[in-house]
Amino acid sequence: MMDRLAYLWPEIALFIAACVVMVVGISPSVATRKFAAVVAGLGVVAAGILAWTTTPSGNAVTASSGQVLLPGLALYAKVGIAIVALLLLLLKPGTVDRAEEAAIALGVQKFDALRTNRAEFFSFFLFSVMGLMLVAGADDLIWLFLALELTSLPTYIMVAISGGAGREPAARAQEASVKYFFLGALGAAVFLYGFAMLYGATGSTNLNAIHLSLTTGGVSGLALAGLLMSVLGICFKIAAVPMHFYTPDVYQGASPSVAGFLAFVPKTAGFLSLLLLASAVGWTWAPGENGLTVSGGGTSLPEPLRILFWVIAALTMTIGNVLALQQKSVRRILAYSSIAHSGYMLVGLIAGPGDGSFTKNGVAAVLFYLFCYGVMNVGTFAVLSGLERKTRDGQMSEIDSIEDIRGLCATHPRLGWPMAICSLSLLGFPPLLGFWAKLPLFTSAISAGEIILVIVLGLNSAIAAFYYLRLFGAVFLEKPEAGAGEVTASPFVSRRVAAMVSAALVVALVVVVGQLTDASRKAAAPKAEPAASATIPASMNH
Amino acid sequence: MNMLASIPGVLDAAVLAQASAPAPMAQSQLAHYMFISAALFAIGLIGFLTRRNLIIMFLCTELMFQAAGVALIAFSRFHMNMTGQTFVIFILTVAAAEAAMALALVVLLFRRRESLNAEEFSEMKG
Repeated sequence: MMDRLAYLWPEIALFIAACVVMVVGISPSVATRKFAAVVAGLGVVAAGILAWTTTPSGNAVTASSGQVLLPGLALYAKVGIAIVALLLLLLKPGTVDRAEEAAIALGVQKFDALRTNRAEFFSFFLFSVMGLMLVAGADDLIWLFLALELTSLPTYIMVAISGGAGREPAARAQEASVKYFFLGALGAAVFLYGFAMLYGATGSTNLNAIHLSLTTGGVSGLALAGLLMSVLGICFKIAAVPMHFYTPDVYQGASPSVAGFLAFVPKTAGFLSLLLLASAVGWTWAPGENGLTVSGGGTSLPEPLRILFWVIAALTMTIGNVLALQQKSVRRILAYSSIAHSGYMLVGLIAGPGDGSFTKNGVAAVLFYLFCYGVMNVGTFAVLSGLERKTRDGQMSEIDSIEDIRGLCATHPRLGWPMAICSLSLLGFPPLLGFWAKLPLFTSAISAGEIILVIVLGLNSAIAAFYYLRLFGAVFLEKPEAGAGEVTASPFVSRRVAAMVSAALVVALVVVVGQLTDASRKAAAPKAEPAASATIPASMNH
Repeated sequence: MNMLASIPGVLDAAVLAQASAPAPMAQSQLAHYMFISAALFAIGLIGFLTRRNLIIMFLCTELMFQAAGVALIAFSRFHMNMTGQTFVIFILTVAAAEAAMALALVVLLFRRRESLNAEEFSEMKG
């Protein structure tokens, strides 16, 4: 029992914080209500510290207590999630209750605990992050299913209420939510059916047992069908091609503070579960000289699964980047860029763990990229949520059009520079974090022999340069519009802070990029000594 | 006791067989259940893609969830372990949570538009 609990301390901290927030957020006193965001922040910090100190990794993980396929995954992912979640939390104050609080402050309206939704908003944030951490620690298909649903269900509501009180933004947010929810339910049904088939083929829902069954008994047709369906369903979470249609509409309709959340949390959940599924079916591990290397260069995924990933990756990158070119809305550009980034990360998944060294390890590359993408992406969405203009009905609403960010470096340097830095980093401009994140994707795919995919990846990076440089040029080179005074900085300082912090991280983390890649390499490493209960035969490499 | 033993994942088939000793399920019998389950899933998927009423669309996703449930129970009996049935209990819970959310969203949208046609909700395009 205790060895199971050792994986759950961060989630327990988040759960407690979520419950406290639900009570604090409906307090009749303004000061106490405002404290809800602080409690949520404390919960995330506590979860991060607990993840760092208590999560077992490497050889401490046994087959009875956790998944032994990627035993370092939970520690790395949970700490990374806590850091990005803290940045995301900074965007959240004022998203749902701004008009209401203003009316209460003016005395026009009385506080009504039944009608306010600040408490739900922050506790759903925490529940969703908790679901994401549970995905990272999953060792069972039932657990994985519940964790994925716990990640997604709160986000549907967060999107629906993120429009606030303004008529126009609220209508768009609700429309976005309905699209997101219905496609999400479809995706969940598809991967659930895939999980059912995997159970049918192997007789177990435990990932260690599934791995054992698939590697010793071979991958049956039923298991393969199950895997393919699971992957297709999870494509919804990562916004990859057959299930990507919702992305631009949802990111545009939801407030940018929630859109930034959607671009990191469900996407990370999807990628972590894809990594778990792929490691359950292939990627043969064997202990090497330094205890961390694996045998068998390149991929050992079953061929149909590899082809499926290949097609999804190539289409996702290309569609995301090409459609981003013709957008006028910054939110839609970022949505398509988020689709394209999923395609990039799938390349690492196809490359597989290689021989375990960082440049050849696609799994480590994906894990590193997820963290870097989280940091850079928060920056861009923080800038969007940190600026606002009046809508037709007189409410203040976050900006959307690319016209609105013209000359931002001159008019609002504290938001303009983060936008410039983060869009260059998303492009993968050399000294910045995005470059160091993209590099191992290329090297791992080359060492796995996926030359055509590398060419597609390179071409796509070039296409992406057009729209990222357009964003960069708009804020840095262009002159502000004549009516630039209409765009004002948001009164919520924490959003500006988030933008500046993530831009600073994009620059500063480059210094410690060696340590970060080392951490992600350890997260992708197998156990040094195969445990007796999960002895993994090296028979998958022909 | 059996429930406790099933927590780590794989239940010892012998324990179950001792307790109730049902005859193992034949592959052909399993195929019947799989046919029903696949049919439910296909009906749900086709319905989701062709119908435009939000409530019907939601019911179609529920149908797909239950298709997975039927498959899991059949597999559970086939493999003689309880994991599949445990899974179904969790699926029912999640399906209930989704239903609550879907109905809340539907009410919210109906108040605004007086319609449940999915095509009416397409303000954003591109």
